[in-house]
Amino acid sequence: MIDLYIPLIIMVAVGGLFGLSNVILAEVLGPRRTKTKTKLSIYECGMEPITSARERFSVKFYMVAMLFILFDIEIVFMYPWAVQFKVLGTTGLIAMGLFMLLLFAGFIYVIKKGALKWD
Amino acid sequence: MSTTVILFTILSIGAIASGISLVTRRNPVSAAMSLIVHFFMLAGLYLTLQAQFVAIIQILVYAGAIMVLVIFVIMLLNLGKEENLTEKFSMRTTLALALGGLFVVQFLTAFLGKKTGMNALPEKSMSIGTTEGIGNVLFTQYLFPFEAISLLLLAAIVGSILLAKRKHEAS
Amino acid sequence: MNLQSIPLEYYLSLSAIMFTIGTVGVLTRRNAIIIFMCIEMMLNAVNLTLVSFSAFMGDSAGQMFVFFVMAVAAAEAAVGLAIVLALFRVKQTVYVDEINIMKW
Repeated sequence: MIDLYIPLIIMVAVGGLFGLSNVILAEVLGPRRTKTKTKLSIYECGMEPITSARERFSVKFYMVAMLFILFDIEIVFMYPWAVQFKVLGTTGLIAMGLFMLLLFAGFIYVIKKGALKWD
Repeated sequence: MSTTVILFTILSIGAIASGISLVTRRNPVSAAMSLIVHFFMLAGLYLTLQAQFVAIIQILVYAGAIMVLVIFVIMLLNLGKEENLTEKFSMRTTLALALGGLFVVQFLTAFLGKKTGMNALPEKSMSIGTTEGIGNVLFTQYLFPFEAISLLLLAAIVGSILLAKRKHEAS
Repeated sequence: MNLQSIPLEYYLSLSAIMFTIGTVGVLTRRNAIIIFMCIEMMLNAVNLTLVSFSAFMGDSAGQMFVFFVMAVAAAEAAVGLAIVLALFRVKQTVYVDEINIMKW
């Protein structure tokens, strides 16, 4: 039955090989120039690079990513419900409504707390 | 050799290699990248077990959401490499490796020593891993745990906002 | 119809090896974020056991458990990393050896 996934496996393999071959071919076929420290430095319109590119992110990004995870789980549980919507009927609708209600309370808390405010 | 055997071999070697890479990498970002590879290998292994929905959820939740958060935290703290840390507990490492080796040997003798005789998936396994099969069971037999998950997520939302938000921003 | 040619034992052994790698990582590494990632790997090893038993037994309970484990792992990721962030604000470090404020 795994034979059903052969197209998927081929796609993943071709995608991986394409990415890998491009990196290798660029290294092999590309012109070999001498690498000096100036040439390898970051190009910033001719200016000297001031700080490292690895700058510390703001905690606001963390807030968004964290809320994304928790609501992502909600969506994951909605998939099987949506597929079987007609079979599950009203019971499923009530179950999902209760689930959503509790998470909506969490969402209201997030908004009230101002966790998604950007400035 | 059938397709399944080849696939299982590749995926399990990949999973173990990326796991070892996660444990040994000094740089947290490369450790996170090996964990992403590990999650993809596991998703492939779930496909060999006819658990299609779990495989997709694995990629969606673990590789797509949890690892994004981990990488954000690594960027947020801007951690350097661990190379500047002095290795003062080499005793701990050897002890952990010895215990781990013992653990693996114990498990392998227990699992491989006695054959379970389960060499093929039953016919029934074709229908339980699909989205329809999952939906039918999740919203009938496992309805209460499902509702409990929403309480858990609510607690996680409140808790992590309280922990991560700075005091002066709260008001 | 033969659906599968890998016996159950091999899945269990693979899962045991992955679990042990995760355990060794938790015991040896000192970066709290890498310890966290090793815990995620251990959870995944258990998930593999659950899915393989579920598939070989033809019972959907194992896959349901995997869902709940994933939801708990997501909640754990959000709260655990928030704790790491809060700890970093107080101690300016994520190396667990340097965090000893509860030691006496």
